[in-house]
Amino acid sequence: MIVREKIPAPSVPPRTAHRSVLARRQATAGRIFVAPNLLAVAVFMLFPLGFSLYMAFHKWDMFTPAKFVGWANFHRLFTGDPLFAIALRNTIAFTIGTMVPAVVISLIVAATLNRKIRGIGVFRTILFLPLAVSTAVMAVVWRFVFDTNNGLLNIMLGWFGIGPVPWLVDPKWAMVSLCLVSIWKSVPFATVILLAAMQGVPEDLYEAAQIDGAGAIRRFFSITVPLIRSALSFVLVISIINSFQAFDQAYVLTGGHGGPQSATYVFGIMLFQNAFAFGDVGYASALAWVMFAILLVVTVMQLRFSRRNSLEQ
Amino acid sequence: MSSLTERVIKLSVLRAIALYTTLIVMAWFALFPILWALSGSLKKEPEVTEPVLFPPHPQWSNYGEVFQLMPFWRMFLNTVLYAGCVTAGQVFFCSLAGYAFARLPFKGRDVLFVAYLGTLMVPLTVTVIPQFILMRTFGWTDTPWSMIVPGLFGSAFGTYLMRQFFRTLPKDLEEAAILDGCSPWQVYWRVLLPHTRPAVMVLAVLTWMNVWNDFLWPLLMIQRNSISPLTLGLVNLQGEYTSKWPVLMAASMLILLPLVVIYAVAQRAFIRGIALSGFGGR
Repeated sequence: MIVREKIPAPSVPPRTAHRSVLARRQATAGRIFVAPNLLAVAVFMLFPLGFSLYMAFHKWDMFTPAKFVGWANFHRLFTGDPLFAIALRNTIAFTIGTMVPAVVISLIVAATLNRKIRGIGVFRTILFLPLAVSTAVMAVVWRFVFDTNNGLLNIMLGWFGIGPVPWLVDPKWAMVSLCLVSIWKSVPFATVILLAAMQGVPEDLYEAAQIDGAGAIRRFFSITVPLIRSALSFVLVISIINSFQAFDQAYVLTGGHGGPQSATYVFGIMLFQNAFAFGDVGYASALAWVMFAILLVVTVMQLRFSRRNSLEQ
Repeated sequence: MSSLTERVIKLSVLRAIALYTTLIVMAWFALFPILWALSGSLKKEPEVTEPVLFPPHPQWSNYGEVFQLMPFWRMFLNTVLYAGCVTAGQVFFCSLAGYAFARLPFKGRDVLFVAYLGTLMVPLTVTVIPQFILMRTFGWTDTPWSMIVPGLFGSAFGTYLMRQFFRTLPKDLEEAAILDGCSPWQVYWRVLLPHTRPAVMVLAVLTWMNVWNDFLWPLLMIQRNSISPLTLGLVNLQGEYTSKWPVLMAASMLILLPLVVIYAVAQRAFIRGIALSGFGGR
């Protein structure tokens, strides 16, 4: 056997000077390349963030000079405005009414789509389609589906002798309608995330469990669910954030005033009305920060909870 | 022995039937509002009460009426213009910054990157009012600038996506170019950018979709029909002609169609982008 002699590396002439020129050039280029992004984020994100906090402590109608009012805006939110409690209640109802069914349904859909059978690609394409459509446009379509006299839902329910249900007219049903619309839109998103996570679960785990005699449902709950927990928690957090700020569907579906009888008066509508219809920018900013605070607390709690759960396992 | 295999086959056939039935039911729920709207868009006005999916005499004239009731093509071009500009800007600036964050070290770069990413957590509700005031201060309300400029110079999500992708590219690609004396810009533009197509696709499709479907921002910014995007045009049309269901549905179909086509063509990029970003839930 011939042992190949190691060829010594060609002695490199001291190129530190060259190196540092290159490094400096790269550093300069790097700073220039990130500058547009950072400038944009400073103007359209950081400045608004600070300005919003500033406004939350002022009374301002966008025309006359702003007047410092201390905590008055927050005080009014919590004690002076009965609509805040209504909006809070509606937003919580909407968030739960959207998130829980959406997560349950998307778990089932993702588990069904996670099969290697013929034609599954076609079903995936169809089931993910709602992701591509505009919430506002779909809300117009949904109004047609929910119409009390002509709507498809009432026609279908009529076949079973139910109804007609006054979907968008009756306060109770209006919130149910709003949730249904949002569930339809959020299920595909949650399914995409959950399906991606399910595809990462190693196949042999299922095979081993099957040999041990675990049925399909048992396998789902003791293998799939624990292993996709982080994806599940991500879906929960994103759903809460999105539901909390929902605006498009509420605005289009029930006419922009949170009706009927403030049944769909959620935070998104309250913020919009106060800022852009009543011109009470300071008050609306205070509301925005309260929403942000609630969201932060809920998200942190949710993450804590899911982490503790996974540690206990 | 043979009876056992027969039983297994029978069982698996039953199971397959159950599975496909479930899938069809699910697909029906995903599609029925759109199909019902499509069918409604082809009906006569008194026919919309009838539970018929295939109208016996399709009224294509409903689509013609859309063009009479709203300046559809004008709004279509507006939307294409807004989506096109923002998408081009996002792809360019995000990939440029993503390249710098991945490959061009400078002091404080990584801290800057993490801080930039942190802005993703700021909810829209907090920034939307000051952004509105900013646009008013610039004198941009009710002008196309308000629809284009805020999204033009990149985003934290896009930069993150591109940076992650640049990091996966092998270093040899650029090292040869650097030895040949290429400037960082040349390395980016000529050597690396052509390799980032998958990530660029994801970002482009997602950005296009977000601009196309956006509603709150145009609602705040745009008054004139002549510069309105399609979503706003449709919602305004609905306010004016509440009961003209066939025409409203025809308009909805016309707005949905381009994105459905993009979705069908660029499905992979689409789904990947949604999974990466968590945008789609809105």
